[in-house]
Amino acid sequence: MRHPLRTLLLTTAALLSAAAAAQETERTAYTVDIEHVEVSAARPMKQIGVQRTHLDSAVLHDNISMSLADALTFNSTAFIKQYGRATLSTASFRGTSPSHTQVTWNGMKINSPMLGMTDFSMIPSYFIDDATLLHGTSSVNVTGGGLGGAIVLSTAPARQQGFGMQYIQGAGSFSTFDEYLRLTYGSSRWQVSTRAVYSSSPNDFRYVNRDKKENIYDDDHNIIGQYYPVERNRNGAFRDLHLLQEAYYNTGRGDRLGLTAWYVNSRRGIPLLSVSYADDDYENLQREHTFRGVVSWDHVRTKYKIEAKAGYVNSWLAYDYSRDLGNGVMARMIRSRSRVNTIYGHIGGEYYAGRKWLLTADLTAHQQFVVSSDRNVITQQGGSAVVGYDKARMELSAYVSAKWRPTERLGISAALREEIYGHDASPVIPAAFVDYLVSRRGQVVLKASVSRNYRFPTLNDLYFLPGGNPDLRKEHGISYDGGVEAAAGDGERFSINGSATAFDSYIDDWIIWLPNAKGYWTPKNIKRVHAYGVELKGSLRWRISGRWNLGLDGNFAWTPSINQGDKISDADRSVGKQLVYVPEYSSSVTGRLACGPWRLVYRWCYYSERYTMSSNDNTITGYLTPYFMSDLSLERLIPLRWADTSVKVQINNLFNEEYRSVLSHPMPRMNFEVFLDIRPKWGKNKAAE
Amino acid sequence: MKHLARILLTAAALTAAACMKYDYGLPPGMGYGDLTEAAGDGLFIVNEGNFMYGNATLSFYDPAARTVQNEVFYRANGMKLGDVAQSMTIHGDLGWIAVNNSHVVFAIDLRTFREVGRITGFTSPRYIHFVSDSKAYVTQIWDPHIYIIDPQRYEITGSIECPDMTAETASTEQMVQIGHYVYVNCWSYQNRLLKIDTRTDTVVAELEVGIQPTSLAADRNGKLWTVTDGGYEGSPYGYEAPALYRIDPETFTVEQTFRFRLGDAPSEIQIDGTGSTLYWINGDIWRMDVEDDRLPVRPFIESRGTIYYGLTVDPATSDVYVADAIDYVQNGIIYRYDAAGQPVDSFYAGITPGAFCWK
Repeated sequence: MRHPLRTLLLTTAALLSAAAAAQETERTAYTVDIEHVEVSAARPMKQIGVQRTHLDSAVLHDNISMSLADALTFNSTAFIKQYGRATLSTASFRGTSPSHTQVTWNGMKINSPMLGMTDFSMIPSYFIDDATLLHGTSSVNVTGGGLGGAIVLSTAPARQQGFGMQYIQGAGSFSTFDEYLRLTYGSSRWQVSTRAVYSSSPNDFRYVNRDKKENIYDDDHNIIGQYYPVERNRNGAFRDLHLLQEAYYNTGRGDRLGLTAWYVNSRRGIPLLSVSYADDDYENLQREHTFRGVVSWDHVRTKYKIEAKAGYVNSWLAYDYSRDLGNGVMARMIRSRSRVNTIYGHIGGEYYAGRKWLLTADLTAHQQFVVSSDRNVITQQGGSAVVGYDKARMELSAYVSAKWRPTERLGISAALREEIYGHDASPVIPAAFVDYLVSRRGQVVLKASVSRNYRFPTLNDLYFLPGGNPDLRKEHGISYDGGVEAAAGDGERFSINGSATAFDSYIDDWIIWLPNAKGYWTPKNIKRVHAYGVELKGSLRWRISGRWNLGLDGNFAWTPSINQGDKISDADRSVGKQLVYVPEYSSSVTGRLACGPWRLVYRWCYYSERYTMSSNDNTITGYLTPYFMSDLSLERLIPLRWADTSVKVQINNLFNEEYRSVLSHPMPRMNFEVFLDIRPKWGKNKAAE
Repeated sequence: MKHLARILLTAAALTAAACMKYDYGLPPGMGYGDLTEAAGDGLFIVNEGNFMYGNATLSFYDPAARTVQNEVFYRANGMKLGDVAQSMTIHGDLGWIAVNNSHVVFAIDLRTFREVGRITGFTSPRYIHFVSDSKAYVTQIWDPHIYIIDPQRYEITGSIECPDMTAETASTEQMVQIGHYVYVNCWSYQNRLLKIDTRTDTVVAELEVGIQPTSLAADRNGKLWTVTDGGYEGSPYGYEAPALYRIDPETFTVEQTFRFRLGDAPSEIQIDGTGSTLYWINGDIWRMDVEDDRLPVRPFIESRGTIYYGLTVDPATSDVYVADAIDYVQNGIIYRYDAAGQPVDSFYAGITPGAFCWK
């Protein structure tokens, strides 16, 4: 399965056949998010020309075992690189790298200031109520540095009256347990919510290790046979606790106050490679304690809106690589610690000048403080010293835009962003967007946008010891996209919409880490990358009958991402080739079917071959097969007198595939999890029944 | 439910039809290929691969035929070599490969490349030195012990404790034997050579040189040579001009120091088959007669604008082989020059070709 056309056809066939099969059905109603269907002539001024993918709570709150990485894998064209549950999971757009994806949570940037990327496995999708992916150019409207795009995450009031509670218990393969509790209180003014997720697992799934062979010896130590051993995933145990406290107050006179605080306590083993012959006395452990808090104030009037936010992040990260000496004493080989403190401030405003103009401006500041220690050494004099750095950096970003819709059909938006990191300022980042309603019938809208963009080096890029390079330049790119979207339906029973976008972008001075003459790695502005391609999205909502509901969402991306840099030496065969670990084709489909109290969700994704060599050579050792992945869940809602309950069975890797997402990292084969969801009917809820 | 089942079956049938056929590890159109046995002499190239990718490989080059075979370990054995192959040593008919982050040493048949045995239990093996048929030393990083192995029984039989090292700072590297003594350079955040008595398997002396001695060689006069890299700017361990040292092994003292400029990065000291000419990398490829009393002013082979990663000298012909890892994520190239520095051949090996071993 390597041909893209076949992928596309199969995706389409899956969509059509499921729809056809559903059409034959009848019965009464159970609502499947039909209310989220957007078939409207109104095109918000803020979204003029914007290429976005929106994940609503129906997608995000599908299953408590899912991280945001899983939600993105099955519901967007972003490429998620991960190697199993509770492992580093990064997202990249349009053939760029994970550090080109900027991520905000309630407005505050949460990319690591040290690494530049975000680990999406550390974000439970149940903690996010709204996620919007802004592709390429569109990211300039929220932040700079999103050479690939931006992901905007936010929490939202539960909008409930009185007390509410939800408890979900999940138990699955490999002794995996997931627990979720949410307590809410709502009144006409207040919305308060406390959420907690606790997940743990030894994560010791079994797999056939085809990277190794076990030998069978005779008495003279001659090998007389070999076989691929069945092994367990080792050192992959995890235990993650997340707490999220929210409080929102609405004055009812146009002012809203919000407080969100999120605490993460994570302890994760880093699984051993499939080529590791280590005994079980090794510990490769990553720990994180992170607090993120944001307070916000929105002042909304008919013609204008002012918002102000302040936030704080405190993150402690530890990595230990130790070996048990057999007497319970751990010999610590690597002891890496880092502490990140971030202070965040934001002020912004919007002003509607008549019905045709929207003017916006904002200013955002992130003050970063990073203390990183990576190694303790004995000095030549016999003392002790730490290899690391202690740096601070102010990151300022200012934005102004004017959006103009002179007629109902046409929208034009121009934006300017300026960023200053430390003493380094980017040139003004311009972006322009346009959309045009070609036809009211079918809501056919053409969109186009263009922007420049810059990404500053991370603090590790600049200061890591050894290798940090303070002379690095900013990465810079220019990106264009254009596309069409259309929607049809009656807004009640049936709706369908789709979009096709082509994009073209160039990134210069792409930073990569290479060994220097002394043998340690150092970042350099080396590559020039041309990333281009097509993104297709489609969705369908169909209330087939009073009882049956169908929802389908599909994505397809073709993302060549080509190294167009200069040759490193005459022998360099990477120029003109696809970047490593960027699939050229990817696709995903999620289908939701509801019938009375039953809910069926089927998720499918496909990634084409990912090269592990910059020369795109295929070798036996470095080959990653294309793969499909299918997950299926079936849920039964069971209303009781005192509570709404449900039982769900989730099957991951439905077809029991053996596959690798990343070299030498095994992935679990078919596995299961069962969830019990309980929502007691208290007070008004119960009375309403 | 009947309808639901029908939908389920339809979806399942479609997806199953799209299921991947699993050809684990074999790219389209690529089998294990015809693997020619290594009948004669040749050069093994140990390709480190990328850390945490598990894509280390072994190549074999026939200098007479000027042909190379890549991935010979995988093709002969149907399994991966591992993560970060560091070095290979030949003893008798067997080749011993230390695979650093796989914590294993493989023994292979030099003709067929097939595994004949393995030793596990290492912390992080780097280099192997044979003291006798029944005893060898294995140096390591992140472990203040040099392991003693019995290569006939494929077992770790003991260890040599290295003084003044913690697990976090431990680093023992290359070994050279002169008489009953094995000399070891200690590289990462270290500045010493160790002298080990092979009769007692203990460290009997230490010698401080400059910061981070990278490699070690012995010449025809029985003198030891090591070259330091001088550390890096900002290192709490220190940063200095690197140097080449000639050491008298008997007294275990530095006889002569040849100082480079601050910021230079000499490495990979090698000696030719006669033990009379030293070679090393310092941007370009340099060579010097062991009797010279000053560093050469002109390089032997100028850099091709890249950073060379590995170096070896044919012990029979004094042909020089230089490894260029290019961008470290594609197959590196090996340039072969004759003893006069004229290009003879070039060929691609595996990812990050870092160490050589002459058969």
